[in-house]
Amino acid sequence: MYAYFSGMMNWVFVILTAIGLAVFAAKGDGEGAMTALAEGTGGALQLTLELAGPFMLWSGLFKVAEKAGLTESLSRLMRKPLSLLMPDLGDAAAPVSLNLAANFFGLGNAATPFGIEAVRRLDRGDGRASDSMAMFIALNASAVELLPTSVIAVRAACGSADPYGIVVPTFIASLAAAFAAVVSAKLLGKVIK
Amino acid sequence: MKWSTLAIPVLVAVLLVYALVKKVNVYKAFIEGVGESLRSLVSLLPYLAAMLTAISLLKGSGALSFFTGLISPIAEKVGVKAPLVPLIALRPFSGSGALAMLKEILSEYGADSPVGREASVIVGSTETVFYTVSVYFGAVGVTKTRQAVPAAIISGLVGTAVGLVLA
Repeated sequence: MYAYFSGMMNWVFVILTAIGLAVFAAKGDGEGAMTALAEGTGGALQLTLELAGPFMLWSGLFKVAEKAGLTESLSRLMRKPLSLLMPDLGDAAAPVSLNLAANFFGLGNAATPFGIEAVRRLDRGDGRASDSMAMFIALNASAVELLPTSVIAVRAACGSADPYGIVVPTFIASLAAAFAAVVSAKLLGKVIK
Repeated sequence: MKWSTLAIPVLVAVLLVYALVKKVNVYKAFIEGVGESLRSLVSLLPYLAAMLTAISLLKGSGALSFFTGLISPIAEKVGVKAPLVPLIALRPFSGSGALAMLKEILSEYGADSPVGREASVIVGSTETVFYTVSVYFGAVGVTKTRQAVPAAIISGLVGTAVGLVLA
């Protein structure tokens, strides 16, 4: 199911890497290329370590919230407003709201299986996206997230005096993105059959 | 936004007490969550390694600054600072790539600089649009995706624009 995507990333990765290497080669700077290559993977390990602290903290706390039933109450709360956005929601209501709730709490990995279950239940097997399915996917592509934990972690690692200072503008901007997703999915759905 | 530094400890304390009242084994749940996050971190590392290798080559060779220089006159006309251009271009394709690019920007310009704040808000308020769309449509084999892709792209552009204004 990741075939479309990994095919696309395959091209992105090869083209970006080849451009970089070609420019190094054109300059005759083989040493620079070797340094850049080593910095890439070494930097990835360092970045993972920097992300680890805050990510572990928030994942632990989110699990506590989940066990306390907070994600479930959120998904119950969302059922009504969601059926306004997706008229033929049907039995997809549960996975749709669990997916959006998991995204909201920053649990991207937990969200994906619910999302896949949701599109399966919205699918009518005709190879064509229904209005509700298009709405769900457009909404998923706009990240309404309570705490952008990885951004906060990178900010803290880079010596920010106020790593959390971007939480409020980020939340408002993501709400605007979700609103735009809803409006454009509704309007474009009338034009694109 | 100094109040946010106070809001988080208060929210966390409320959450822990609430969970205790709900008879959750808070300690066990916390450990379970941390354990799961370690697995995600380990699976994230190879993606970061691939993207950082590509970005590091583009940066080191000067190809990135050439591209940025080419685009920046147009970008700055619409209020986008030059260092943000490659970030905005990469964001819809790769979450790990955007995160790696964010780190580059923050270490070069400072996390609390205007560019640093704008970059942080953009990464936080947008999604990997093309990844999301391909995973979900790929899962059910839907090829007539209709309004989903344009709506997702419009949503990403609006998130970016509002983020730039608010950051």
